[in-house]
Amino acid sequence: MTRVLVPLAILEGETVPAGLPTLLALADVTVLGYHVLPEQTPPDQARLQYEDRATAALDDLVAEFEAAGGAADHRLVFTHDREQTIDRVAAETGADAYAITGVTGPVDRLLVALSDAAAVDRIGSFAADLVAGREIDVTLFLATDDEPGGRESLEAAAEALAAAGIDVETELAVDDAPFEALVDAAADHDAIVMGEQAPSLRSFLLGEDAERVAAESVGPVLIVRSSDGA
Amino acid sequence: MSDSSPVAGTNVDGESPQLEPTVETDEATITDDAELERTLGLTGGLAIGIGTMIGAGIFVFPGLAAGQAGPAAAGSFAIGALVALLVALPTSELATAMPKSGGGYYYISRGLGTLAGTVVGLSLWFGLVFATAFYLVGFGYYAVDTLAELGVAVGDGLVIPLALLFGAGFTVLNVTGTENAAKLQNGIVALLLSILVVFLGYGGLDAMGLIGDPSAPEQFAPFGTMPILTTAALVFTSYLGFAQVATVAGEMKDPGRNLPLAMVGSVLIVGVLYVATIFVATSAFGSERLAEFGETAMVEVGRHYLGAAGAVAIVFGGLLATMSSANASILSTSRAIYAVSKDALLPRRASHINLRYGTPHVALGLAGGPILVLVATGRVELLAEVASFLHLVMYGLICVALLALRRNEPEWYDPDFRTPGYPVVPILGALASFALIGFMQRASQLIGIAIMVAAAGWYAYYARDVTLRGALQ
Repeated sequence: MTRVLVPLAILEGETVPAGLPTLLALADVTVLGYHVLPEQTPPDQARLQYEDRATAALDDLVAEFEAAGGAADHRLVFTHDREQTIDRVAAETGADAYAITGVTGPVDRLLVALSDAAAVDRIGSFAADLVAGREIDVTLFLATDDEPGGRESLEAAAEALAAAGIDVETELAVDDAPFEALVDAAADHDAIVMGEQAPSLRSFLLGEDAERVAAESVGPVLIVRSSDGA
Repeated sequence: MSDSSPVAGTNVDGESPQLEPTVETDEATITDDAELERTLGLTGGLAIGIGTMIGAGIFVFPGLAAGQAGPAAAGSFAIGALVALLVALPTSELATAMPKSGGGYYYISRGLGTLAGTVVGLSLWFGLVFATAFYLVGFGYYAVDTLAELGVAVGDGLVIPLALLFGAGFTVLNVTGTENAAKLQNGIVALLLSILVVFLGYGGLDAMGLIGDPSAPEQFAPFGTMPILTTAALVFTSYLGFAQVATVAGEMKDPGRNLPLAMVGSVLIVGVLYVATIFVATSAFGSERLAEFGETAMVEVGRHYLGAAGAVAIVFGGLLATMSSANASILSTSRAIYAVSKDALLPRRASHINLRYGTPHVALGLAGGPILVLVATGRVELLAEVASFLHLVMYGLICVALLALRRNEPEWYDPDFRTPGYPVVPILGALASFALIGFMQRASQLIGIAIMVAAAGWYAYYARDVTLRGALQ
């Protein structure tokens, strides 16, 4: 069973888009309600004041996931540092992926980006578990400079998914700017699965690729975690 | 490390201490329904400790201390460091056993009971208020000197207005500002340490006669030994920062390791810097001239060794250092108020957080208001001594609380760090803390005692039915 972490700024009214519980119906979901505090405020001080409200909101969200047929629980964290909290809870729950929620209705077409070379297998099998036997079309996407090699790894991944009875298409972007190509491809899909790119100078300057994809596309992005710490 | 104790008692408003069983891990505090992330690392802890302390010891006191004790003021700072160390070790043990916000107040209320807890908790609030006012007045002097270096001579008349302006400014910024200032604080401390190492390195070589013109050595203790002790009592304000580290204990990662390192480490680092600074400063000028320069004597020392650039570097450092001391102390004050309010020793609304900024505006106001009143008095030495008085009472009682807890170790008591040299270190720490109070000016002692009596009166009126001894949450 795959586990997906869904982090939400729970007290700022972030909610789950309608299609996400259905998309994650086959996964174990942990809703991570977090509240980021300025350093002037001890997290415990905020807990005393907001715990009841946050817990009520989380209970409602868990009910939404369960109504869609999934298994869900929740964690509530008061923190000064959102990244650190998501990383810690993802590691503790052994989550395979975490979600950046967007806006989406029912998910019919899923874009699976294999650009994270180190994680192609993990991303592929995560997508297979996520879709397993449902009417969701998958597009495998890869942006690369190496056309034959890219086609080969796309084909291999597509075969594995097809063997699991999933409708698969492939899309190879050669010599395009990888990020822009991915955002273009995302336009006619409802949700995206992608890897956690290794931090690079580029992501340091521009923000993490996954965050940028989420910002550019409307739908939810599921980020498959790197194996270390998982 | 979890424990639940029966909640006992309510205050006049009918509020009880908010106690819940918790599990402490290296990364978070886990309560029944929520988790509290620990986000401060060792660097952050050291930055709070050093950043709070360095402003006073290096940039405000050298002139005042040299005027009172001569070159032997270096000895006064060394005595202060020793006392601080004797207390930092027991504090570290208690902090690793109870890594909670509230610091010294928390250990004493749990180890010695509600009366001692209330007196210390409220005294800590006022102690930090006095300390912050002291840092702000120091900042005022540096602001005026900065203007003077820039060619705008405004005179010392503007010291207090500037200190008031910035005190109010810091309070408002802390209520409305949600920027992450921690990284800024780390950067400021790193910059200050670099300035000081260069300056002290150069000045030290010069002072030992290795470079520059030889100077005639001055008598080491021209006023005898008694002024060394009274000066130690005065400058002890330069060592209050390690207690501020304890007020963020609930937010430190890996508290068993980082809390002792941050507390003991920051005391050692600033202690060495203070002694070196006094040595360099008194070698540059006789202590009499140094005393004439007053609060910003270090600027003249900088000018003596490194010319105009040295003066500018010190003025700039002094501005940064007194600012970071003042700001860190305002934050600690707010946490101190939160800790007693959570335990129903103050009305619960004192720790209320506003929705808009997520900041504790009531507690910050309860810090900022009294600070401004005290700044307006402009009495640098009095402010410093009362701050030290109230902290020293807490330090002494921390040592007593350690002895009480160790004599009859409760089941939940399981510190990661155990004080070396037990029981000698906490006994000496308690004796030294209380003794240092004895060397203060009469006025400081009276004000300090008055505040403690008022706190005890508040306990008798407001919270005498609250029971905290051994109550963990």
